[in-house]
Amino acid sequence: MEEKLTPVVCPYCGVGCRLYIKTLDGYPTGIEYAEDIPSISNEKGKLCPKGNAILEYLLARDRLKKPLKAKEEGKFVEISWNEAIREVAERLKEYSKDDPDAMMFFGSARTYNEPNYLIQKLARMLGTNNVDHCARLCHSSTVTGLKAVFGAGAMTNTFRDIEEANVIFIIGHNFAETHPVGFRYVIKAKERGAKVIVADPRFTRTAWFADIYLQHYPGTDIALLNGLIHVIIKEGLYDEDFVRRRCTGFEELAKIVEKFTPEYVEEITGVPAELIVQAARTFATAGKGVITWAMGITQHTHGHDNVRLAATLSAICGYQGREGCGVSPMRGQNNVQGACDLGVLPNVFPGYQAVTDPEKRKFFEEFWGVSLSGEIGLTVIEAAHAIEKGKVRAYYVMGENPVISDANTNHVLKALRKLEFMVVQDIVPTPTMEFADIVLPAAAMPENEGSLTNTERRVQWSFKAINPPGEARPDWWIISEIGKAVGFAGEGAKGFSYTSPEEVLREINACTPQYRGITPERLKKNLAGIHWPCPSEDHPGTRVLYRDRFLTSDGLAHLAAVDYKGPAELPDEEYPFILTTVRYVGHYHTLTMTGRSRSLVKRWPEPLAEIHPEDAEKLGITTGDWVKIETRRGVYPIRAKVTRSVKKGVIAVPWHWGANVLTNDALDPVSKIPETKVCACRVVKITEEEARELIKAVPKVIPEVEVVKG
Amino acid sequence: MARKTVFIDFSKCIECRACEVACEREHNGRSFINVFEWQEMAAMALNCRHCENAPCVEVCPTNALYRDEDGAVLLAPQKCIGCLMCGIVCPFGIPELDSLNKIMMKCDLCAHRRAEGKLPACVETCPTDALLFGDFNDIQRMRREKFTEKAIESTKEGEKISLMGL
Ligand code: SF4
Ligand code: SF4
Ligand code: SF4
Repeated sequence: MEEKLTPVVCPYCGVGCRLYIKTLDGYPTGIEYAEDIPSISNEKGKLCPKGNAILEYLLARDRLKKPLKAKEEGKFVEISWNEAIREVAERLKEYSKDDPDAMMFFGSARTYNEPNYLIQKLARMLGTNNVDHCARLCHSSTVTGLKAVFGAGAMTNTFRDIEEANVIFIIGHNFAETHPVGFRYVIKAKERGAKVIVADPRFTRTAWFADIYLQHYPGTDIALLNGLIHVIIKEGLYDEDFVRRRCTGFEELAKIVEKFTPEYVEEITGVPAELIVQAARTFATAGKGVITWAMGITQHTHGHDNVRLAATLSAICGYQGREGCGVSPMRGQNNVQGACDLGVLPNVFPGYQAVTDPEKRKFFEEFWGVSLSGEIGLTVIEAAHAIEKGKVRAYYVMGENPVISDANTNHVLKALRKLEFMVVQDIVPTPTMEFADIVLPAAAMPENEGSLTNTERRVQWSFKAINPPGEARPDWWIISEIGKAVGFAGEGAKGFSYTSPEEVLREINACTPQYRGITPERLKKNLAGIHWPCPSEDHPGTRVLYRDRFLTSDGLAHLAAVDYKGPAELPDEEYPFILTTVRYVGHYHTLTMTGRSRSLVKRWPEPLAEIHPEDAEKLGITTGDWVKIETRRGVYPIRAKVTRSVKKGVIAVPWHWGANVLTNDALDPVSKIPETKVCACRVVKITEEEARELIKAVPKVIPEVEVVKG
Repeated sequence: MARKTVFIDFSKCIECRACEVACEREHNGRSFINVFEWQEMAAMALNCRHCENAPCVEVCPTNALYRDEDGAVLLAPQKCIGCLMCGIVCPFGIPELDSLNKIMMKCDLCAHRRAEGKLPACVETCPTDALLFGDFNDIQRMRREKFTEKAIESTKEGEKISLMGL
């Protein structure tokens, strides 16, 4: 009997924690904490509840084990890999000949860099830039917003800088619940004496730790941020020298924030004027400051502007390019940074090289040996609309679950039904899979290996700990086989004849400037990984970005001057409440993994809609009652939790279980993110029977898939 | 040998319940630590205190409860008769009945992990160090040190500000 410890990276969030999977003769028997690996993102091997429970979803009974082909919606027959690959390749080839833009590819923030690189390569070689992934729904505003101000869409610092900061401003980010292990560094900073400012419409677990707590209404972030900037400029607390040397646009900024006096901002946001002044002073005078955010400011029709303002706030205080400073947009999935870096976006090749730039395009045309489209492709949400217009006819979905994750579910369902052809590559049955024509069973991350990039731009190698179930195969293998079957049989980078993920990473090294020195050999030796940019093999990686210049064309930070815009949909007589979406620490996204984890489901069994005691009393609702939440787009039955953690007039609902039937798919004009964080709703108390009836209409998060005899 | 225990610093608990999930994984689906939330304001984890004068050990009629070399209060299952007395006298309500095996069960301070020189699972995983493992007096000393460090940091800050004439 052989006991073995294999170092992997946790398959859940963007903190990218290291842990070991313990196996006995290849069978997983437990996990062990990586306390002995120095300099990892989860110091001392710390893990949150999800990381502790990873074996449970890996061993789930309904893992996909064989390729499937649909007979009718939701009914499948088993087929062989040969048949599956052949069929998918044939169809893709047809579309590629006919109209490549009729295809849409989804990469995945929940698989390694290598398959993500390969899926965008496949899409682009087939002639379309229609390739995107779920970052569109979470941090696309961060990518576009930070690119506009600083020139690149990534966290500018690391967790160490959060630990070393003197003030940490957390906005729209329930840090303690979304990234418990990352929050460790906030607590360590606080222990040293750092101040914590939290701005959130909900009094979250993160807010428990705030020195100053600002409870603004959902969707009023621009006003709040402008208010802080107003005070900082008015009182002369900004870093004049830094602004003069390294920023541009200060005059316009000063002009536009002029009217955002603390009193005016109080009117819009509901935050007392004194608190705004106090927060602004505390932030600007600390000497070293970090701003962190997550979905609370990105998922808005003005998400792009929210992010630009957060970056502007950081820049005018001179909190850039030094240790203990920076902006930290906290990524949700363990490889969402990597999927973005490797070009799983409709407008850029790997390394954020624009598809519209003829020179970059020429490079990739020579590199891959085909001619490429210079037209920007469709985003996730645009693709669903394009299906309706008959423009998109085929979907290739690798490890995503748009039925639960996209805003306005009913619209997504309608669109998916109209597709001619859909391939879903995943580890378990999802509600999205019910619409698939071909299902390809994938190996979960700990069942194969590759590199992945955490929220701090830290690229790490995760090793293979156990065998995949049945005939499930690694994502890189599946895409390579399809690439070959489509006919891309060229040598090296010109084809898909890979024999290992290492080979793919070497190809990435060759075409992605930020990853040039991040070779598989280095990653395997150094388990703590390397922070990109890493331009050469002897480069140690980069902890803090923008020491001397920003990545904008003139090297300056482009401060944003933005006037207040509210959310796209505001409460009215018919829909008097503001609905916002939240999450639980023990669950993850669309529940495909945590929903199959016994110890997590036991602790977080169901969603609860949070409602303020005064509102609850008016509606006759007590904790535990069933209510029906209605918006212009859908109905959602849920039980209520009466709590003061939400403001009067606000309802907060966790979205894991399918609450996106309610949300608004109005888009930010730049980042194309849907506004899932605010819309108008009404709440009605219902009986349990009524609730049971309504639940039938909500897509099942864990569907039963029928496999019938051929 | 110095007695080691799990120190609970509830000012740092974020109610993530990682400790519960870890304990449950290490103990066949049973967690011996529980996290409680109070008034939407704070949370606290609680496990066996392995008391210095443990009433459960005192009261156990069959000597099923005993103290091991690290000072942990353990239960010898073969001796337990499931009379519930330990559970009744424990001021924290710790020992529970395992209704399948008809004996009591409680936190064993992760005996199997200590045997391998590892920390208890709940302590090892706790993301914010709200749980610490060690000799109680050592932990207290460390906390005093941290407090003085912080106090000195803030006087330094104050001086700097007055020197700058602000
Ligand atoms: S079971 Fe109760 S009485 Fe016994 S040692 Fe633990 S806390 Fe003390
Ligand atoms: S010390 Fe071990 S047995 Fe006791 S509560 Fe912690 S994890 Fe559970
Ligand atoms: S692991 Fe730590 S922070 Fe999380 S609930 Fe337990 S004691 Fe609290």
